[in-house]
Amino acid sequence: MHGMNGGPSRGFWAEAWGRFRRKPLAMAAVAYVGLLVAVAVLAPAIAGTKPVLCRYKGRLYAPCLGYFDRRLEPTVFARDRFRGTYPANLREKDPESWAIWPLVFQDPYRAVRADEWPGRPANPAKDEGRPSRVNLFGTDQYGVDVFAKMVHGTTIALLVGVVSMGLAGTIGIVVGAVGGYCGGWVDMLTSRITEVVMCVPTLVLILAVIAIVDKPTIWKTMAIIGATGWTGIARLTRGEFLRLRQAEFVTAARAAGAGPVRIMLRHILPNALAPVLVPITFGIASAILTESALSFLGFGPPPPAASWGAILNDARSNLAMWWLVLFPGLAIFLTVLAYNLIGEGLQEVTDPRLREARK
Amino acid sequence: MSRPPILHGDPRPLLEINDLVTAFHTPAGRVPAVDGVTLSIGRGRTLGLVGESGCGKSVTAMSILGLVAAPGRIESGSILLRDTAGAAIDLATLPEPRLREVRGGRIGMIFQEPMTSLNPVFTIGDQIAEAVRLHRDVSRAEARARALEMLALVRMADPRRRLDEYPHQLSGGMRQRVVIAMALACEPDLVIADEPTTALDVTIQAQILDLLADLRRRLGTAILLITHDLGVVAETCDDVAVMYAGRIVEQAPAEELFARPRHPYTIGLLAARPERAAAAARGRAGGRLRTIPGMVPAPQDFPSGCRFHPRCAYARLPECAARPPELVAAAAGHLVRCGYAEALGPPRDVATPDREAS
Repeated sequence: MHGMNGGPSRGFWAEAWGRFRRKPLAMAAVAYVGLLVAVAVLAPAIAGTKPVLCRYKGRLYAPCLGYFDRRLEPTVFARDRFRGTYPANLREKDPESWAIWPLVFQDPYRAVRADEWPGRPANPAKDEGRPSRVNLFGTDQYGVDVFAKMVHGTTIALLVGVVSMGLAGTIGIVVGAVGGYCGGWVDMLTSRITEVVMCVPTLVLILAVIAIVDKPTIWKTMAIIGATGWTGIARLTRGEFLRLRQAEFVTAARAAGAGPVRIMLRHILPNALAPVLVPITFGIASAILTESALSFLGFGPPPPAASWGAILNDARSNLAMWWLVLFPGLAIFLTVLAYNLIGEGLQEVTDPRLREARK
Repeated sequence: MSRPPILHGDPRPLLEINDLVTAFHTPAGRVPAVDGVTLSIGRGRTLGLVGESGCGKSVTAMSILGLVAAPGRIESGSILLRDTAGAAIDLATLPEPRLREVRGGRIGMIFQEPMTSLNPVFTIGDQIAEAVRLHRDVSRAEARARALEMLALVRMADPRRRLDEYPHQLSGGMRQRVVIAMALACEPDLVIADEPTTALDVTIQAQILDLLADLRRRLGTAILLITHDLGVVAETCDDVAVMYAGRIVEQAPAEELFARPRHPYTIGLLAARPERAAAAARGRAGGRLRTIPGMVPAPQDFPSGCRFHPRCAYARLPECAARPPELVAAAAGHLVRCGYAEALGPPRDVATPDREAS
């Protein structure tokens, strides 16, 4: 009787994680995505011109939150006419004040002027702005620091992938599950809808929508990527449900008196989730690429939101500024690669056939 | 403890199936897998449903639970389930929500393959507790306590630890115990066991059959045991129904059936048991395994008249091919579907039962 001497009970996911952990490439990819998440969350503390924390006229403020949402920036600084330049103003208007500054004093939305930071010259503009100690990744043609832009653009890159694939995953799993489980005319209907949506060219649809709506935002882009990107997930989910609804444990659940919704959600879905997670991960990668492509074509989120693709777009008219191509290009490449590596790793640790083949 | 009265002396059986027809509507035409099955199970009794593969045993079981998969459906007949007060519900016409209460609640089901009838992603405890919570309004903790109780009842070693284990950590026999625990968790009146030991090795088979017999004695649950193994039937069943080509051909108390089989098909089945060949070999050299020539016909080409006549050693043509025989009482509590059962006389050679008194 095996299992008698085994260690503590481990479920499917615990087993899968145990195998995943032994894949160095996949784990490096997870670490990289973890780093990106950290960068996105801490962006204002990494690069910015607003203090992370400061004491001004006897009170503590965190003006850096203004980078997440302008409304979060304390109004007292606007009233005191800081005009966005903190270091000199703080010193002048309250000599007692102190501040904790971001690691890199650079702004993602404007060029830092001369002497804004004591003793530092203005950011170079045009093709003078090659990478230096002050501007790590150089500056764009207006003198805006590329490193700061990229740090603040990380949020968009991550959100695009997660939000659009969250939406696509939800639609895809629901459509595929209902079609695969119910079969018959329901399956016929959902399969045809899936095929129709599959024919819609995402990029062209997004361009069309951007042309129509008055305020294109990053959220609308994500919604369209999500609303058109669920077809592969739906097909895979349908296949898994078709296969699993014949499984004996599903008949057993039915014989125990479970209803259809319970059988779909509790008995089939957890068994179908692993193979469905794989295309979702690959989907995140392709969503990031789509967004970058849109931004490169100039249809990305409007300024001041700075996405990596938008920096590439700047490079288009300034080909001599190689740093505008190299750094954002590398970031996009690495991120897409990371998600693909994670997807591949997931596939290998959850698909028993692949697992056997590797042994 | 007094044994319950024998089936046909009991006027109010727990489950009564009358003239059940379950057919599959395939593109190739109508396939009546179950074609006029009539049988009954007394409260607390064990009925063995015997027959070759493809004769409609499992479809009968699925019909009782209302789980016949499309394109199959119950076309006619009734399946009456009585409660202790004697009120009957007809499972053949019961709407789906009410059927769900019956499934797992009043009728439990044990499947053939313990390897696949448990959900691989949930622990044993979770699965038994779910079976409880589907029919009883109890808290998670109470359901878990009940799961533990059930694992102890099915004599699982170290039940407290098993509760948090996954199916893949258990052996086949242990999994079948879990499946039995799930089937019995809500104290059903009837348990349908569809070849519960076929997938297990012989020593484990005996343990599981022992367990079922013991649980029946302790809980008073009636059992419909579907099997093709006559040895299993001889050891565990009070009554036996023999099925052939979608119909019951003979039903009798087990001892009676093994002692005096009436239908040529039953006679053939009994003669085809390996034990008989072994016994014959002991008696004289060269004992051979007897077989029934031919195969069970597919439902779409059932022969006319008596469905067994093309394979029957006693068939009288053209009468047997002309008119389908009725299921009639050949003796008290002994039903036979053969027009010449009386004329066959006491069957030679298979008349002595080699069955230990149980």
